[in-house]
Amino acid sequence: MTELAIVFFVWGFASLANATPLILVTLGETLGQRTGIINLGCEGGMLGGACAGFGAAMATGNPWLGMIAGAATGILFAALHAALVLGARANQLASGIAVWMLALGLTSYIGRAFVGGRVEALPSLAGTWVSSLPLVGRGLEQLSVAAPIAILLVLLAVWWLERTRTGLSWRVAGESALIASENGMSPTRARLSAVLVGGCLAGLGGAVLSVDYTQTWANEITKGRGLIAVGLVIVARWNPRLVLPVCLLFGLAETAAVRLPAMGVEMSSYLLSGLPYAVVLAALVANHLAFAPAAAMPADLKKVFD
Amino acid sequence: MQYSPSDNMAGTAAIVPMVSFRGVVKRFGALTACDDVSFDVAAGEVVALLGENGAGKSTLMKTLYGIHPPDAGQVLVEGHPVAFTRPAEAMAAGIGMVFQTFSLLPALTVRDNLAMAWPGTPWFLGPQGRNARGALTRLAQLAPGIDPDARLGTLSTGEQQLVELTKVLNLSARLVILDEPTSVLTPAEAERLYGLIRDLAADGVAVVLITHKLADVEACADRVVVMRRGRIAGTGTASAMTRAAIVAMMMGDTGVRGGDPRGLPPRPDLPARPYPQLLLRDVTTGTAPADAKGITLTVNRGEILGIAGVTGNGQTALAEAVVGIRELTAGEVLLDGKTISRRRLEPRQPLAIGYVPENPRENGIVPGLSLAANLALRGIARPRQHTMHPEQVTQCLTDYDVRPPDPGRAAGTLSGGNVQKLVIARETGEQRDALLMVFPTMGLDITATASVYHRMVDAARAGAAVLWISEELDDLLELAHRIAVIRDGRISSGLPVTPQVTRAEIGALMTGGQP
Repeated sequence: MTELAIVFFVWGFASLANATPLILVTLGETLGQRTGIINLGCEGGMLGGACAGFGAAMATGNPWLGMIAGAATGILFAALHAALVLGARANQLASGIAVWMLALGLTSYIGRAFVGGRVEALPSLAGTWVSSLPLVGRGLEQLSVAAPIAILLVLLAVWWLERTRTGLSWRVAGESALIASENGMSPTRARLSAVLVGGCLAGLGGAVLSVDYTQTWANEITKGRGLIAVGLVIVARWNPRLVLPVCLLFGLAETAAVRLPAMGVEMSSYLLSGLPYAVVLAALVANHLAFAPAAAMPADLKKVFD
Repeated sequence: MQYSPSDNMAGTAAIVPMVSFRGVVKRFGALTACDDVSFDVAAGEVVALLGENGAGKSTLMKTLYGIHPPDAGQVLVEGHPVAFTRPAEAMAAGIGMVFQTFSLLPALTVRDNLAMAWPGTPWFLGPQGRNARGALTRLAQLAPGIDPDARLGTLSTGEQQLVELTKVLNLSARLVILDEPTSVLTPAEAERLYGLIRDLAADGVAVVLITHKLADVEACADRVVVMRRGRIAGTGTASAMTRAAIVAMMMGDTGVRGGDPRGLPPRPDLPARPYPQLLLRDVTTGTAPADAKGITLTVNRGEILGIAGVTGNGQTALAEAVVGIRELTAGEVLLDGKTISRRRLEPRQPLAIGYVPENPRENGIVPGLSLAANLALRGIARPRQHTMHPEQVTQCLTDYDVRPPDPGRAAGTLSGGNVQKLVIARETGEQRDALLMVFPTMGLDITATASVYHRMVDAARAGAAVLWISEELDDLLELAHRIAVIRDGRISSGLPVTPQVTRAEIGALMTGGQP
């Protein structure tokens, strides 16, 4: 019994490490969607961030510079989406897919030089004061500083949306651009800033994935996590508070997919690697059956699908 | 029309009016919405701007508010010419406008809705928006009953209007423009609003009340400005003008017919022997506030049964359940002894009764199809039936006064009144055993309203059982044989319309309060 508890305990922290990139991307996408902009290009921003971050960390030997390069690349891709959607009034779905495809092509091309490269990960929590904490110390040791940073950013986003006037103007823009401008706010400014912040978080998430988590570069390293994030935003019902548990669920499924064979569960590895996606799909369906997620959906976002 | 100081300004000529319109002209293409309009509004004065739909009242106010800058003429605020191009500029100058559709967000709390527009809101809102509580001060005075942490969407329309009014007053507005404010209110809420308007005026705020209801004028206006076809048809002190004089000004030479100044038909006589034609038995569509719950009613042949109530109290669910386009969870609807309601929707089954839905532009026509095709919509479900010849279509359009009577024209290009006439032509064009009308005169002017009521009365005379859902109490009292009141999806028993039934009595049933 205690063994089982330990397994779950260890898996929980492994899931957090696993889910950290996803938490960042999902949080970024949540912020953008709260202002009424859906960005399917966050998969592209994540890929770009993973590629540029890995390159920068490899070239400089400094993982923090990798984080900065990743975030900056994410902002660039998001800026392209914003220019298409807010500037040229392009369809949000089409623009997002275009940005994603562009990033896919560019990172495949540029990333060839990074295959087999080595990078240094972000500082680990092992050996710091957290190791000496009772009970959780052993689990926390497995993590790098990326996980607490991601959790802090989630709290910051909640604070930003609910406690600041700018955050209020973001929420207003997501409900109705018309009413925002009628009340003296600029919905375009709110959307532009939220999309760029979202891109920054997507790029950072990508960089955490390649530099800190896998510490390798592989083509299409994100394996659709950016798109999973778009789905998880719905499961989290556009509430940044729920981003953490929802992403942990995906992380847990992915941890299980990796660790179940080691525990003697005989199942095709191909089937197992599909498990996290099946879990997200199930969560999405369960969410639709249990709640009416459309009620929590920012009202102006619905126009995207009109 | 020459500019002249307003009637009640005599003796206070030294005081600069809060707002002056001088020869304001606004054109939309070939249409001149405002044509050389001049008048003043003084601080502390309530001006009722009256006129039919399309008379140019709202457009005139929008020239001031920066939505439709005028093509010619001048607007002065406290003697200084202004030319606002955005509402934000007008707001900064102390002008606030409350539109019929509120500029509020149903998904946000009352607190957030007020904080978003209050200039005093600090960047850091604090826990539960505590630092922006100054935005709530006025709400506490206007409506102490409203919970600031409630989602706006859970409030009644009247309460939402008070939130909107608070928001406008928070901008330290010295001129408040209210666009048809009482059209969404219960009688009790309207009374409270009249009181608030008087209080504002006493505080020195100038108020412009855009309305087409004479009751509004009598209740709280100092002065009346009547517009017709973009021009000022007359002005006067409210207490010195009779209803008939105001209606005559609004309608011009053409409007007033018969005994009733609004040209309403007389209530039709009931057939000697009552025959229960339309039966609603325990009609239930669900448990939500806007669902119908256990509604039982009988409508006799030739009878008009009015259902009064504030919008959103289950009228839509009831109507859709009766015509058979919404599933019932319990109960049934019988027409002449046969069940017409459905537990499971079968889309191919045609509607058994004439149905004039609410908001006909959205629910009653296919905007991209021609008038002829829209008239024939019911026939499409029964392809074997002969379709109308083009001459018949034109004749039908002319009979029902659909303008222009051009069968090939797209239905979406018609004005609101003509869309409604088109729907009525389709639904009452052939004799039906029952007719259901939902808010049939909403947004229509006096002439179009009278024409809708004539058609309704004609249908009743021809033997249809008429179920008429409306918010217009005066009209219900005038035309219906009995009135039932719907509230929270439940219905009161039908009161026969007698001189004893008063607005207050029905109003109390509508709101659940005591008369």
